[in-house]
Amino acid sequence: MTNVLQHDAMRLVPAVPGFEFDAPVDLEISPAWFLDATHSVPPWTPLFGWFWINFCRHGMQYGAEKLSLPTTKGWDWRFKNGGGYLTVLLVKSEEERRQREERFRVAIRPFVANYDELWRSQLDEMLGLYEGLKKLDLDKASNIELLDNFEQTINVCRRMWEVHMYMMYGTYTAYILFENMCRELLQIDDSHPLFHALITGFDNKVLQVDKRIWEFSQKAAKLGLAGVVLHSEPNELAAKIEAAPNGPGFMAEFREFLNEDGWRMQRMSEMNLPTWIEDPAPPLTNLKQFLVKGGGFNLEEERAKIGKRREEAEKEVLAKIAPEQRGWFTTLLRLAQKSGVFSEEHDHYLDLYTHALMRRSAMGIGRRFASAGAIDSADDIFFVIPEEIRKAALNPDLFNLRPTVASRRAEWQEWCKEPNPPVILKEGFDMDQAIGMLVKSSDPIALKVVVGSMPVVRAELKADLYGTCGSPGVAEGMARVILSEDQLADVQPGEILVAATTSPSWTPVFSLIKGVVVDRGASLSHAAIVGREYGIPVLLNVFVGSQQIKTGQRIRVDANLGALYVLDK
Amino acid sequence: MMSKKWIYSLDELGQEHADLVGRKCANLGEMTKLGMRVPPGFAISVDGFEKYMRETGLGKRIEAYFAALGEDLKKSIQKQMEASAAAKQMMAETPLPASIADHIERSYEALCAGCSATGLPVAVRSSGAVSMPGQMETYLHVRGSAEVTRRVREVWESTFNTRAISFRLEKGMQVDKAPIGIAVIRMVNAKSAGVVLTVIPTTGDVDHAVIEGNWGLGESVVSGEITPDNFIIHKASLAIEKKVSKKTRWVVSTANGTAKADVPVDLQDMPCLEDDEIRELARIALHVEKHFGVPQDMEWVVDKDLPFPESVIWVQARAAKFTAKPKEADTDYITDQMARLFRR
Repeated sequence: MTNVLQHDAMRLVPAVPGFEFDAPVDLEISPAWFLDATHSVPPWTPLFGWFWINFCRHGMQYGAEKLSLPTTKGWDWRFKNGGGYLTVLLVKSEEERRQREERFRVAIRPFVANYDELWRSQLDEMLGLYEGLKKLDLDKASNIELLDNFEQTINVCRRMWEVHMYMMYGTYTAYILFENMCRELLQIDDSHPLFHALITGFDNKVLQVDKRIWEFSQKAAKLGLAGVVLHSEPNELAAKIEAAPNGPGFMAEFREFLNEDGWRMQRMSEMNLPTWIEDPAPPLTNLKQFLVKGGGFNLEEERAKIGKRREEAEKEVLAKIAPEQRGWFTTLLRLAQKSGVFSEEHDHYLDLYTHALMRRSAMGIGRRFASAGAIDSADDIFFVIPEEIRKAALNPDLFNLRPTVASRRAEWQEWCKEPNPPVILKEGFDMDQAIGMLVKSSDPIALKVVVGSMPVVRAELKADLYGTCGSPGVAEGMARVILSEDQLADVQPGEILVAATTSPSWTPVFSLIKGVVVDRGASLSHAAIVGREYGIPVLLNVFVGSQQIKTGQRIRVDANLGALYVLDK
Repeated sequence: MMSKKWIYSLDELGQEHADLVGRKCANLGEMTKLGMRVPPGFAISVDGFEKYMRETGLGKRIEAYFAALGEDLKKSIQKQMEASAAAKQMMAETPLPASIADHIERSYEALCAGCSATGLPVAVRSSGAVSMPGQMETYLHVRGSAEVTRRVREVWESTFNTRAISFRLEKGMQVDKAPIGIAVIRMVNAKSAGVVLTVIPTTGDVDHAVIEGNWGLGESVVSGEITPDNFIIHKASLAIEKKVSKKTRWVVSTANGTAKADVPVDLQDMPCLEDDEIRELARIALHVEKHFGVPQDMEWVVDKDLPFPESVIWVQARAAKFTAKPKEADTDYITDQMARLFRR
């Protein structure tokens, strides 16, 4: 205890040097800083925070600059008690906006002229970089090679965020334009069921992985493994299957699948939990849930229906567009349709994959440091930042990082006790003004992922809560309130999921549930996209749903009307 | 020293082996891996060519010859033609070492045995490690081990065709050698042939695939000289929409290659594919598209001599390059509207 206090007194190097939130200075830069609740609740470990703040920040400014977005220069980020705080960097003068617009017209063109090739080339670059990182056998590598792998991982992470935000800004710009055009020409916006029908019914990598897990569940049943799966707890699934007759062969095949597609994290934006490759408990739990639910893979069953509905919607809409406008309208429609696919696939190929490789490299160093005595256990590495890793990497036997780990861990435990405030405002500046600032930025990502559209309270509906439609439909069932990934195994077939927000690691439960209610989200947020593909209603921007609704309550979600009813108050 | 392997069976190969055996062979190998039926055959690697050049000393002689010509070669097409003739002459005078010829002959005989045939007709096709469109020779209807060996050497010789030399000079590539492999594959006796695209190229519609085909070999479809039969397949339901055209000309195999000819009158208005064949083509094409995650452009042949479904054979699969490019004017309009989004 005294030791820790001494170190506190010495003042620990901040987790993200240069980007710790500093109220007097930073509130001058911008009067409103928003907590990224989607990614940084619960609070990040110091090492993960270091990566995110440095490079997500860089990527957004890179993307905005590369596209020369006329009104926004991307986002600035700060780190505060494990939370990521963001603000939009506005283009200040009309003169500058005009100059940026000139360049923007040229820079955005590849997105319109040849989107597929653009995305494919960026993806190929990243997949190539990942293979490079994986080549090194970390436990046989020299200290020099280990550090080099870590430095390369840092570069790959930076490049990932560049690709990520360049693609995201360009893609969402197209989506927003399509939505505006629909509003103008068809009087519908992106919370309208017809709009959803137009952009839904496409396969993507995340859904393909879910389907593979479903196929494995069928295989397990065929091999007589269903009993073992159904009677095992998540953390013992792998061992119990392995011990069963036919189990070793099945697990060998499952692990082979994971080696290909298991480069992902249990929590999308954190690296202190094992990847699917290290610990197959999360995908095996999904497999178990498929067996509990029984029946077919409803995504496949829904696919044909949704695809057909989209074709009808396209016909219906194109009939209303003047023939001379159909050319560009169709091009823009195709682009908007790709936005949903991009939104899901980039999580798989960019965020989740890179984070898995960050963990791989960091754990390699962690194991080396632990065996040299610099830290106690490999995963202490998440409490050390790259500056300190470099300090000790070549001669870990000569450096003692334990006090640093102890102080940072104590600090992190403090962060986890007290939730970070959702927004930090300059005195005299209120939430409406803050949202107004985001809207004024016209920043495509801020508009489509953070802000969303605000629910309209329609008193005549007499609903208990209101939201906006992320995916059309009506559902009635038992509510299941889930506040973090580790509770996902509790979800039962036929329930309605209620959450603050969802991410790709939640996707597999979408095939079990009847509907989704989330506190925050816009039409390109995860819950909305996946809900549309699975054909279940999703109600967005309910704000207080996860606090007011209790697990076990019967609720009715009418996404078309934007209304939620609690049936057994 | 154990000599390095330089002949491969197609199922040993995949996309990643383009440098080893050339793109054509690597592609055939990859298709085999994906469960597509390709004509049975074997691949002679780039090393096979180099082995011949090295063991006979020919490589050194040709290298010296080109070195002596120096920079002048670039300027004069006349010089390039002379160089071509000289290099080909040197090759023609240099027979294959017995060990190389033996190995090729044994591989061909094994192929014959695998197809339960003697003197199986094969195609001997060049397979460049880099794209060298139409510069090298391909020989069809090659029969017997002596002929196969002769044609293999002639494909190698064709790397010194004048246009191949000019191309390498133009692209700044090494001029005195070219990395090529060779595919030796069974001739297909084509009833009909054509292409499948798993996207409608004119609209970018990915819900449908399109098959185009004609009687005989695929060249008539690819070259666009005739109006082929057109079958649109709805991917989700596999429903088929047929547009059968009057097909008056076709390309047929002849003893020395191919020739254009008139389609017999009774075939002209008949669809060139049965429904079963259309569905089989669509099934495989969608499977391959799913594997690669992008729309595919694939070439197929239906073999007259084999029973369905073994008769459905693939010769090419690649990413569809021409998914709906929007018109310039539409792109202009959209980028203009995008710029307006940021004006408030």
